[in-house]
Amino acid sequence: MRRQLAIMRQSLFDQGYLDEQFIELEELQDDANPNFVEEVVTLYFRDSARLILNIQQALERKPFDFNKLDGYMHQFKGSSSSIGANKVKAESTLFREYCRSANAEGCLRAFQQLKKEYATLRKKLEAYFQLARQTGPLETASRPK
Amino acid sequence: MAPAFPSGDDRADFGTGEHKQFSFHDIVLRNRLTALVVDGVDFCRLVEQGFLRSCGLETQGVNNGDAAVELIASGAKFDLIIIDMFLPVMDGLETTRRIRALGERCKIVGVSAYIGENDREAFLAAGGDVFSEKPVSPEVLIPILRELDGQYSNI
Repeated sequence: MRRQLAIMRQSLFDQGYLDEQFIELEELQDDANPNFVEEVVTLYFRDSARLILNIQQALERKPFDFNKLDGYMHQFKGSSSSIGANKVKAESTLFREYCRSANAEGCLRAFQQLKKEYATLRKKLEAYFQLARQTGPLETASRPK
Repeated sequence: MAPAFPSGDDRADFGTGEHKQFSFHDIVLRNRLTALVVDGVDFCRLVEQGFLRSCGLETQGVNNGDAAVELIASGAKFDLIIIDMFLPVMDGLETTRRIRALGERCKIVGVSAYIGENDREAFLAAGGDVFSEKPVSPEVLIPILRELDGQYSNI
């Protein structure tokens, strides 16, 4: 199971879901804070779910308030970057570019893609942490090859 | 020759496989350093304070600019303040201006999810020192901490 956990973790980086920031979080985990990463990630999903809802509601109001959307995405990107959510971060940047150019269709498309990446990341991390709880954490926060 | 402060927008590109120069565990402080983290998002503040503590700093965190200004006005002293530009009520720029207006001269690092040259210029004009993409990386933070710790003073 440890090997399975390590493979799962490696694939999250290889497939671009996570970046170096996640490793920095893992390095903060110790005996005093053994579940630090899972706690932070849980807080992230709670916080970001609220933002996704706000963006969803803002996109249902016409005409779009691009400033408000930009603000929500600014927060969302900052939060996503803080846990190393690489693909979600990239989609946030794309969404913001559409906001800045007041491209409503682009915003809608980018948001759909962002939600997809977000949901995938959430599912993968939930599976990862579930296995980690059964296995016990990997001993070192090794940088992926 | 003392190393120059990083500009704040240069980060090792993890995707190209470049070896990162710094880790938060690389630094050993000789002095007691304190930091204030101003970030409206609880878990982001937790992360930022966590990194600073792993470097050996004592930290405090507040979730808005008003609280930061009140803390400084009350006489609290910090070697470093990290301010998120996107704060509720009073933004990071105004918070920086007000902290400087109180006469506080400590190092202020501004962080933002999006960084552009205009944003950097505005932050520096407000009295900030280093402007960095959020989250602040070891590459940005470690040289700052070493300078604050006086580790470059013999170079």
